[in-house]
Amino acid sequence: MSTAPSASQQTKKSGKTLSKYKIVFLGEQGVGKTSLITRFMYDTFDDHYQATIGIDFLSKTMYLDDKTIRLQLWDTAGQERFRSLIPSYIRDSRVAIVVYDITKKKSFDFIDKWIEDVKNERGEENVILCIVGNKNDLTDERQVTIEEGQEKAKKLGAKIFMETSTKAGYNVKNLFKKIAKSLPEFQDSNSNIINETTGAASKTNNNAAGSNDTSKAGVIDISTADQQEQSTCQC
Amino acid sequence: MQKEQSRISYNGIQNGGLVKPPVFIPRVIPRSPSVPSLQNDRSFNALNASDPMLNRPLFEDSTKLTPSNKTRLEPDFNPSPVQGSPSTIGGNSNLSVIDMYGDDTESQMASEESDDSPRTNSYTPINEISDNSNIIDDKNIPQLMHRLSLSDTTNKTNNEDNDDEYHKQPIPKSPRVNISSKDAENFDRYGFKKQTTYITEQEYDVWWKEYYQYCNRRKNKWIQLMEKYDLSTKDESIRRFPPKSEKLKRYVRKGIPAEWRGNAWWYFANGQQLLDENPSTYPQLLSKIDHIETLPDKETKYPDLEIIERDLNRTFPDNIHFQRESFQNTEPEMIKSLRRVLVAFSLYNTKIGYCQSMNFLAGLLLLFLDEEKSFWMLVLLTSKYLPGVHNVNLEGVNIDQGVLMLCVQEYLPAIWEYVVPSEKSNTNKTNLNKLMNSRFTPNHSHNKDPKNEFLFKLPPVTLCTASWFMSCFVGVLPIEVTLRIWDCLFYEGSHFLFKVSLGILKLSEGELLKGKHSNSLTHYTLNGNQNKERLNNPEENEMELFQIVQSFPKKILNPNDIFEKIIFKKRITFNNLDQDEIDRCRKYVTEQRQKHIPLSDNKKSLSHTNINDNSNSERSVSSQIGESGYKSLNVQKSKTMKQEHKSDEQLSGSQSEGYGFKRSITSVNWNSGLKQRVRQIRSKKD
Repeated sequence: MSTAPSASQQTKKSGKTLSKYKIVFLGEQGVGKTSLITRFMYDTFDDHYQATIGIDFLSKTMYLDDKTIRLQLWDTAGQERFRSLIPSYIRDSRVAIVVYDITKKKSFDFIDKWIEDVKNERGEENVILCIVGNKNDLTDERQVTIEEGQEKAKKLGAKIFMETSTKAGYNVKNLFKKIAKSLPEFQDSNSNIINETTGAASKTNNNAAGSNDTSKAGVIDISTADQQEQSTCQC
Repeated sequence: MQKEQSRISYNGIQNGGLVKPPVFIPRVIPRSPSVPSLQNDRSFNALNASDPMLNRPLFEDSTKLTPSNKTRLEPDFNPSPVQGSPSTIGGNSNLSVIDMYGDDTESQMASEESDDSPRTNSYTPINEISDNSNIIDDKNIPQLMHRLSLSDTTNKTNNEDNDDEYHKQPIPKSPRVNISSKDAENFDRYGFKKQTTYITEQEYDVWWKEYYQYCNRRKNKWIQLMEKYDLSTKDESIRRFPPKSEKLKRYVRKGIPAEWRGNAWWYFANGQQLLDENPSTYPQLLSKIDHIETLPDKETKYPDLEIIERDLNRTFPDNIHFQRESFQNTEPEMIKSLRRVLVAFSLYNTKIGYCQSMNFLAGLLLLFLDEEKSFWMLVLLTSKYLPGVHNVNLEGVNIDQGVLMLCVQEYLPAIWEYVVPSEKSNTNKTNLNKLMNSRFTPNHSHNKDPKNEFLFKLPPVTLCTASWFMSCFVGVLPIEVTLRIWDCLFYEGSHFLFKVSLGILKLSEGELLKGKHSNSLTHYTLNGNQNKERLNNPEENEMELFQIVQSFPKKILNPNDIFEKIIFKKRITFNNLDQDEIDRCRKYVTEQRQKHIPLSDNKKSLSHTNINDNSNSERSVSSQIGESGYKSLNVQKSKTMKQEHKSDEQLSGSQSEGYGFKRSITSVNWNSGLKQRVRQIRSKKD
């Protein structure tokens, strides 16, 4: 992958390097974008989240190795007509996570459009494309196989493909771990992810209440990603 | 009285709806499930009596549930509705004033100070109620509503639905040991969960204790006012309101009584006229829906169906009326109503179809109005109040955001500095461009007057504020605040949305400027002058602003924080904004955008002024509306093309100067022409 760090804004402050990475979540409505973010941020899950209108923004600080990075997560509305509002944010995003619902073939077919949007705005080389098949726990209703997902990911040039279950908490941390490892910041040292702070990852729902001010929620500890979780593909 | 009504309904019509006069209505219109009895329309009297909720075996399993009653029924289910005697249940079958105010919870809280206060005779302790629950048989199935206002049992039997009466009457507080009672207290009077990500239940309760008194005071004032005009003050029969006046406006701004709200919105928005002129529209749409349901290829033919379907359960997941409880086999009536309204609308106005955020609008309407009225109010909201906002290309959103940005620039310069930093603080042009984050192709930008650039390349923060308008603050602000805004929206017009938006931004100013919010910033902003630091860092500003603008409104629990601190303050300049100004502003932005949007986009772009080219039904709607003047202006506009051109010239002439707010261009003649017409329309109306 291209390692040109131009897109991540680096700010030198008192010797510290703070890199920010915009991550945009795309995909049809109801596939679980908000849910994925909530699982990552607060490790909680609800059956229904209020539909996202426009864009929601959350940011999270992560300490990896001796570096601090800040993830800016942009949660978008899924309905097609909202696509016209979103491009500017795709343009700046370092990572684009395109989500589909494994129980909805249509949402899977739709990811081509989103990927196209991203490539148009950003160029294929400058963005880390991820394809995520969510609702992996609903095996009975599955309409898209893992293989189909992998194949499409390959075809569309996605660097990361994964199936997740935000309900079961499956693979979500792994996803973000993988993403972090593919960031240029960690290309040389992607083996050791050091957890410097304890923080939000273990927060319960109640603790999370009132701390949506993400900076309060502390720092995500992605190194504790459940070891039993398996990533389903190495694209 | 209410008791009788609901009993009749219960024993009567089985399908939860009224078979309307066969003349023009081909099918049953289901009532919105939780609509209070006060929603009754003259033509819907029988219908009102038959609440589908009553006729539905909600507690199919009540026998199963009963044994475990004392401890708890279901994790999330509150057996509160269980009542001491069948007759009481009948009396509770409609959402009454008390229901709306969550009276008992309230009274309980009011008497909290006297902790040991003995229970009065009229009060039945919760656990005793639970014990009695086996009295309940199928026929005594209480309304879903009761799941939140369990303690209604209290003084319901002899209560006359009279606010001042019952709030004076101290009702002992039950010790909050009973789990089920605690459960009910988790929800507010509309069935929303009190606790949100930003507000704890304790905070809510503390505030509500005060605000509830306020509501009662206001209602008494309203009653006095209504009596002056010889208007009914009975909750269930309120149809008419006093003529518009400064006084009434003030009353509306201080909040319409919750039980009157639906009817008041309906009245002020002039919904009845729309319904009277299109009496068969909604029933016909329902028939069409029935037909569509039978089609094998309905999903390909009507793609909106599936999109609507996915949002139904994501509309108010935190509202008891919209939740499917684990014990329920069927989906809540409210979800069914919501589906029908949204699908009907998508068939009615194909230009809009279904747009996410309309689920919130319809959802809130359904809490206050019956289905058909909710439908028409949705029509009004999407055409008169938020023209073009929900159209496929969302151009109406962009226009309104452009207008909002003009207003921010004019009235909130400090915030404007964050939204679009001036070039002084940003000598670096590329930086500026990055900040502006154009939504449109940048190659057109160099042709434009930089002063207006933000109208085409809307600043990022508008991605957040767009949702304020699209959903009229539903889900953006806590519910009681939202409702107060809706009161004013329907009374005063859409400019109120801009006023409130500015108000929210103004309130958040402190947080933004002081940088309280910015832990994230302070931890690497080591020395001193934060503001300076931040102004030099547009990227940071952008995020900071976005985050505050996104989360701040959710913390505004008390409506009066906005109303008393902002809206009622005469010295705050943006309070001078009126509908006229906003309409003019919208027009200006529309024209500016049309000039600069690339041609290909231009074709797609549907401006506010084009809205009348929609379907015939839309046109008929628009021609009926003249209250705020806006819509009728558009109608007139298309007729008076000459004038249009004139104003075009004027606008382009003044383009380099940007938009001029009223103070500076009062003498511009196209404006006074419009003004005059607005006045004529208004005086006719009055």
